[in-house]
Amino acid sequence: MVEVNELHKDYRVGKVLFPALRGVNTVIQDGEFTAIAGPSGSGKTTLLNIIGCLDSPTSGTVYIDGTDTGTLTTREKANLRKNQIGFVFQTFNLIPVLTAFENVEIPLLLLDTKTDENKDRVVGILEEVGLAEYLHRKPNEMSGGQQQRVAIARALVKRPSLVLADEPTANLDSTTAREILELMQELNRKFHTTFVFSTHDQLVMDYAERIIGLRDGMIVDDKRKETPA
Amino acid sequence: MKILHLAWRNVFRHTRRTLITASAISVGLSAMILSNTMMNGADKMASENIIQYETGHMQIFAKGYYREEGIFPLDTIIEEPETIIQHVRTHRNVAGVTERVKFQARVNNGVDELPTLAYGIDIENDSEVFRIAQSVVDGAFLKEREDILIGTDLARDMGFAIGSYLTVITKDRYGTYNANDFFVSGLINTTHPLFDRNAVLMKLEVAQQLLDLDHGVTEICVRVRNSAQLASAQRDITALIGAKYEVYTWRELNAAIFEISGFKRLSQFMIALVVLIIAAVGIVNTMLMAVMERIPEIGTLKAMGFRNNSIVQMFVLEGGIIGAFGSLLGCIFGVLMSLYVAIQGLDFSQFFGDMDVGYPIKMIIKGEIDFLTILLVFLFGVVVTILVSLWPVRMATRLEPVDALRHV
Repeated sequence: MVEVNELHKDYRVGKVLFPALRGVNTVIQDGEFTAIAGPSGSGKTTLLNIIGCLDSPTSGTVYIDGTDTGTLTTREKANLRKNQIGFVFQTFNLIPVLTAFENVEIPLLLLDTKTDENKDRVVGILEEVGLAEYLHRKPNEMSGGQQQRVAIARALVKRPSLVLADEPTANLDSTTAREILELMQELNRKFHTTFVFSTHDQLVMDYAERIIGLRDGMIVDDKRKETPA
Repeated sequence: MKILHLAWRNVFRHTRRTLITASAISVGLSAMILSNTMMNGADKMASENIIQYETGHMQIFAKGYYREEGIFPLDTIIEEPETIIQHVRTHRNVAGVTERVKFQARVNNGVDELPTLAYGIDIENDSEVFRIAQSVVDGAFLKEREDILIGTDLARDMGFAIGSYLTVITKDRYGTYNANDFFVSGLINTTHPLFDRNAVLMKLEVAQQLLDLDHGVTEICVRVRNSAQLASAQRDITALIGAKYEVYTWRELNAAIFEISGFKRLSQFMIALVVLIIAAVGIVNTMLMAVMERIPEIGTLKAMGFRNNSIVQMFVLEGGIIGAFGSLLGCIFGVLMSLYVAIQGLDFSQFFGDMDVGYPIKMIIKGEIDFLTILLVFLFGVVVTILVSLWPVRMATRLEPVDALRHV
């Protein structure tokens, strides 16, 4: 469960203080498939980054499964990310010199799992995202959609409780975007992993169970759908 | 292990860049190795020349002679060499002993005159210590009283050939001028420039008569069987012959030359070091580029939970791999060049002619490869690359993950 209380984040640009988040409060339950929607500059990415311990808030608190992330040291934050949080980025952020298999394997290198087990898990998750045939391809030998599938597999391979996806479909065409969203939805249902993704795309919002509307750093809307598309 | 694998892959992201950096390191290191080989070779040749032609392993003088050796003090000579020689021969490490008279003389060909270093040598025993007899390239070794050996270079300068007539002019021990006529019986060609250019050698008794020394000699030269135990032999012999004489090893007698050698070695090493520093700047540059262009990737790794240490480790390994590759390349090139110099020798005479470089070797230097130095140079190269890789990556890992991810 993710709990966000009175979250503020100010960026200083020269002498001007720019407020990116202005008192955000929300609770995201385990297994939710939540979109944070809003126009550019509304604070979506900032919110995701703070939830993911990649950035620190100016004030306010974030609890992940009961842990106040503001009290954690750099090392503890790294451990939290290592064990509990998976990231999917707009630009996929795969390591270009590694194959799909090796990219997905990276998060497991940090965990104390056995090599054989790692291999099974990597192959399993790549099959799950439909890339069983592409294990040994490098990112530049794959399409954007395939690369994002690898990125999703990489985020999920360590079985995190939370996956944060920042505009995961922004660099994809609408057909591929749909496929990726369906994949994320399927994985969310199958593994009961909490998905939080930011978007300004209506298509993405159509798939979300819950849409948190963000504007000028504040939540302006919070809608739940009973039966997502 | 996996981090090494990742580092290995990263090294070959930009093969050309890696190769250029590695070759820069290899140039620096091969220069170091080559300079070391040449200096070793020069030292070895100089040592051999000194031992085989000039001093043997040790020399015995009358007390006080060596201090004034530069003026050839004929009043401080060994008056009764026979007893000393007998004593010295009893030492188990002594392989050969001979006596010599060394003095300044002018050689006249009837038209021109040149200052030379003249030696009176004991033709019976000289070969026990020296290689003069083996260096006769034309004519014959000393037999008759009027025979004289001269170096090929001196013969060329003065226009002498076998059978030429020459006059040796010198002062005897009492300061009186004396002269003697000789016939060139043989030409010697040693590897020692001093002997080939400046020396004339006559029979010992002729020199003694010329200088009015009676049976006296200026020095007794000793060759040992095991040069590793030279110092103990020196101590034993000093004790054996008593306080009226002094014993010096060839190294002590040529300290100045080896000081020059040390200085040359240092200066050559400094030049190679400068080359290596330039290479190190190249590595910093390569690593800086590698780090800067991969800052978002560092952000991604951090997002996945990588700690700074692992990231630093990865980049340092990358630097280390480039360093090891460059160092290996440098060692291979260095050894290949060194082998050429060791087998073929490098002929500097075209550049310098017969110029005197203050070092008892000729202008053809045969290198001497020292494999321990090569190993040290290799390790040096790797360590330097690792050290200079640390700085750029330390800088990059200081960024917050979010700043690293956002970095363009």
